[in-house]
Amino acid sequence: MAKMLKAFWRNASRGGGQKLREDCALMSRQLIVGLCLLLAASAWGREATKLASGEAHIHVGVLAVLDDQDTQHQWQPLLDGLSTALSGKRLHLHPLDPVGMERALKANELAFVITNPGHYVVVEARHGATRIATQTAAEGGDPAHAVGSTVVVRADRPLPEGLAGLKGQRVAAVAEQAFGGYQLVAAEWVREGIDAESGDVERLFTGYPMTRVLDAVLQGRADAAILRTCLLERWIGEGRLKPGVLRVVAPRPDSRLPCQTSTSLYPGWAFAASPHVPPDLAREVALALLTLPPDAQGTRWSVPADYQRVHDVLRTLEVEPYAFLRATRLEALARRYWFVIGGALALLALGMLYTLRVEALVKRSTAELTRSLDERDKLTRELEKDREAMDHLSRLSILGELSATLGHELNQPLATIANYTASLQRRVSQKRLADDALKQALQDIGSEAERAAHMLQGIRALARKRVVQRRRCDPSQLASEAVALFRGLQAHAPEVRLQIDSSCVGAAVMVDALQVQQVLLNLLKNALDAHRLAGMDAAPLLCRLHVQSGQVCLAVQDEGPTLSDEQRAHLFEPFFTTKPDGLGLGLPICRTIVEAHGGALRARPADEIGHAGGMVFEVWLPVLEAAQDLLTSAKDNPS
Amino acid sequence: MNTTPVPVIHVVDDDVVFLRSLLFLLEGCGFEAVGHESAEAFLGATPALAPQGGCLLLDIRMPRMSGLELQRRMVSAGSPFPIVFMTGHGDIEQAVQAMKGGALDFLQKPFKEQALLDTVNRAVEASVERQRRRVRQEEAQTILERLSPRERKVARLLALGLSNKEVARDLDISDNTVHVHRQRITEKIGSGHAADLARVLLRADPAGLDAS
Repeated sequence: MAKMLKAFWRNASRGGGQKLREDCALMSRQLIVGLCLLLAASAWGREATKLASGEAHIHVGVLAVLDDQDTQHQWQPLLDGLSTALSGKRLHLHPLDPVGMERALKANELAFVITNPGHYVVVEARHGATRIATQTAAEGGDPAHAVGSTVVVRADRPLPEGLAGLKGQRVAAVAEQAFGGYQLVAAEWVREGIDAESGDVERLFTGYPMTRVLDAVLQGRADAAILRTCLLERWIGEGRLKPGVLRVVAPRPDSRLPCQTSTSLYPGWAFAASPHVPPDLAREVALALLTLPPDAQGTRWSVPADYQRVHDVLRTLEVEPYAFLRATRLEALARRYWFVIGGALALLALGMLYTLRVEALVKRSTAELTRSLDERDKLTRELEKDREAMDHLSRLSILGELSATLGHELNQPLATIANYTASLQRRVSQKRLADDALKQALQDIGSEAERAAHMLQGIRALARKRVVQRRRCDPSQLASEAVALFRGLQAHAPEVRLQIDSSCVGAAVMVDALQVQQVLLNLLKNALDAHRLAGMDAAPLLCRLHVQSGQVCLAVQDEGPTLSDEQRAHLFEPFFTTKPDGLGLGLPICRTIVEAHGGALRARPADEIGHAGGMVFEVWLPVLEAAQDLLTSAKDNPS
Repeated sequence: MNTTPVPVIHVVDDDVVFLRSLLFLLEGCGFEAVGHESAEAFLGATPALAPQGGCLLLDIRMPRMSGLELQRRMVSAGSPFPIVFMTGHGDIEQAVQAMKGGALDFLQKPFKEQALLDTVNRAVEASVERQRRRVRQEEAQTILERLSPRERKVARLLALGLSNKEVARDLDISDNTVHVHRQRITEKIGSGHAADLARVLLRADPAGLDAS
């Protein structure tokens, strides 16, 4: 891992250094070109006039694809040869990049242009330049098949299958405008349905010279490199590249050159005359070109080739001079299919609107749902809280209802004890305490203290905070316990007649015994109050039990006045009371308790059920099913 | 101590144990105490107020006949017993009613021994005073009964401070006749002075001098 990192850094720093050097070279080259142009500019004006007279200086622009020195080195012999052939004329070489060339042509500063086939087509289209000769490849062949592209990969990498196999790979090339260096391969891609511009191929443009492309692939910055055909063989021949390091992708078997090529071959570089060059001069130069011997590299000039296939390539790529095709294509499509596009756009807009609306609706309904859920939760919580409060209140309230009498009853034993103690103190201090008197006092004090304690026990049981516990209970036992408790709490409680019907034998209810006893206590207390209000304190109360259609009825009957229908209608409403000091909470709480046990609390006049007397309050509780009953008893007695 | 008669305190309470404790307390304080377990029992016994004084301690809340009812009956029967009510917790309304009905006081249970003694003593004093007043009234009435109706009229006018002449004009009789009546009155009552006549008349009837 560390080793790999190290290697990466070495490569990166080397690449960076080289890049810097190359940048410097590029700058100096541009500087030189600029200076040359500047120096020549003063002379050009003169020369233009001299051209007409058929003598003196002729300026030739050359597309610089190598560095300027190389360009100079490459082309100067040609110009020297032409100068010699054309007596009395001096040809000046101007290495120019496409931009410089464009500017110079616009300014009519060039008589002739030497450029690659793709660029020639552009110059021809833009400036009306006409080719007068086409260069052949050094390796021979005809001028119409001189330029091609060769795609190479490192020999240690897998060889892609055809140019289409480069899809998804990183491919290095000098520039997007390079004819042999890029456009020929790009046209092949387009024909195979690969859209390099849209990213089907990851392109890495290194800029000139073409050695950079070679470096890119050798250093692994690119998977493949696009070279001008025959460059590979030349570099190997010059010893700049070891043979076997690179392999050619999709080599064409029908190459007309002794070099491997990945594309078909196209016409070579063009020697073109600008439109203002007199035809005579053009002809003169053309003749001179054709008669020149091959140069050092072995290239020579031949009759102008047909550049139609170059046009095809550029049209395929939809680049200058066919760049308008891109716009046309879209425009034409739009014009032809406007209704489809418009419809699609409208549908899209509608779809988006619909989506937005649905989303808004969903959002709104979700919010509403969430809100209502929250509200429901809140209500539930409040209800629970209320029920808890009600439960607590029920105990306290029943206690409150009972407390008026309870207070009075508790006073009695306390007052009795106070009397005895006070008197005992007095008698002792006066030294006249008889044994009999002491005995009587102590006996009564003891019994009264016990009585008070008994009452307090009843209150404590009611007031204690406790968890509701439902158990299987015998209703008869519940009733008799409640009656006993009632009489225990009331010193002057009247007789309570308990009548238990035979239907109650064996009946059981699943209740919280204490809560049901609270209810019965409250009903007994109400009955007693009714009697007291009627001035019949000592009249007996009646408590009757019977079972009817699966329910046990615990009824408390008084002999007080019958309540009116209206009073009965409000009987179970909170804070409704017929008593002068009543809270009006006893019965509502009783009903809540009974209903919580699945039962019902009813009030009716005694004569309605065939009894003489005042009101009857009935507690109806569901009797345990026989099966449940058995189950419960089985649980109780695991024998 | 047994030689001097002590005030007799009657107690009515349906709570037997409490009743017993109260009797115990009163006896310890040197009173003679008599207990009754109900209002009806008290009425049935029809005890007389002892000449040496006494009172009735009455529980306000009882089954059947309540303390208030007993009080009403005793007042209408003209009983001389001063009544002290004993109330429990929250019987204030009934206590107020009892006071309006002429009760001497009320005690809230449980009560302090000293409060009981103070109240009972005040009641005993009141009973003694009541009895004294009654004796004087009876004496005055006996005296007045000796006068003829005409003499009573003359005596009343004289007690109001009228002169013989004014009495004669008021009754439309002669001065002489008034003079004769006055002599008779002086003989029968022992004084013919206006102030003495007024005292006797008022003792016999506190409203005796009011305009008739």
